[in-house]
Amino acid sequence: MSSSEFEPIPMLSSEPVPAPPADAGQSNPIREAISEAISEHRVILFMKGTPEAPACGFSARTVAILQALEVPFAAVDVLPDPRIRQELSAISNWPTIPQLFADGELVGGCDIVTEMYEAGELREALL
Amino acid sequence: MPSAEDIKQRIEAAIPGATAEVEDYTGGGDHFRASVTAPAFEGLGRIQQHRLVYEVLGEDVGGAIHAIALKTRTPSQAVSAAPRGATSSSAP
Repeated sequence: MSSSEFEPIPMLSSEPVPAPPADAGQSNPIREAISEAISEHRVILFMKGTPEAPACGFSARTVAILQALEVPFAAVDVLPDPRIRQELSAISNWPTIPQLFADGELVGGCDIVTEMYEAGELREALL
Repeated sequence: MPSAEDIKQRIEAAIPGATAEVEDYTGGGDHFRASVTAPAFEGLGRIQQHRLVYEVLGEDVGGAIHAIALKTRTPSQAVSAAPRGATSSSAP
């Protein structure tokens, strides 16, 4: 068993969300669901694919590091709807996937997570 | 389609004093590895350092540039860092 708690976030997974009108201002259900997910999970990874079946090498490496540290994490697959990635990047001001958050803050993408892991800093940042 | 050389020049032109090494590691013009050393990174966290580089590349990241593995360092870190043998040649 993997140590991850893969929790598809209902808002973000299957149901097609009605497209908000352009410049919808505050009412942006996808963005709100992402923000909520980030604040509700101590450690959450936005990735391509799932921890069990990563769809990208960078996501796979990040999952492997989290599993090596035995840090429990929630995961969200950004692939089902391109708007998840758009809104996530708008929130985080970070253009690439994966993105790891801890305590509501962006920790980094694959490069930073790898660097912190190799420097022995990652566990402390996540626990 | 950007080349490694284009990306290197854009980074070095936009970030004062930066030196960049950029490698197109698949040869396909869309997956790159970049190592950037710049005095502008001094005092910034890793996230901010990477954001500076991403800002230079703008919408190309996630567009023409499918992936760019980034390593950022300040000049003092570049001097003190032990050379890492693993980065030299790892052609897939």
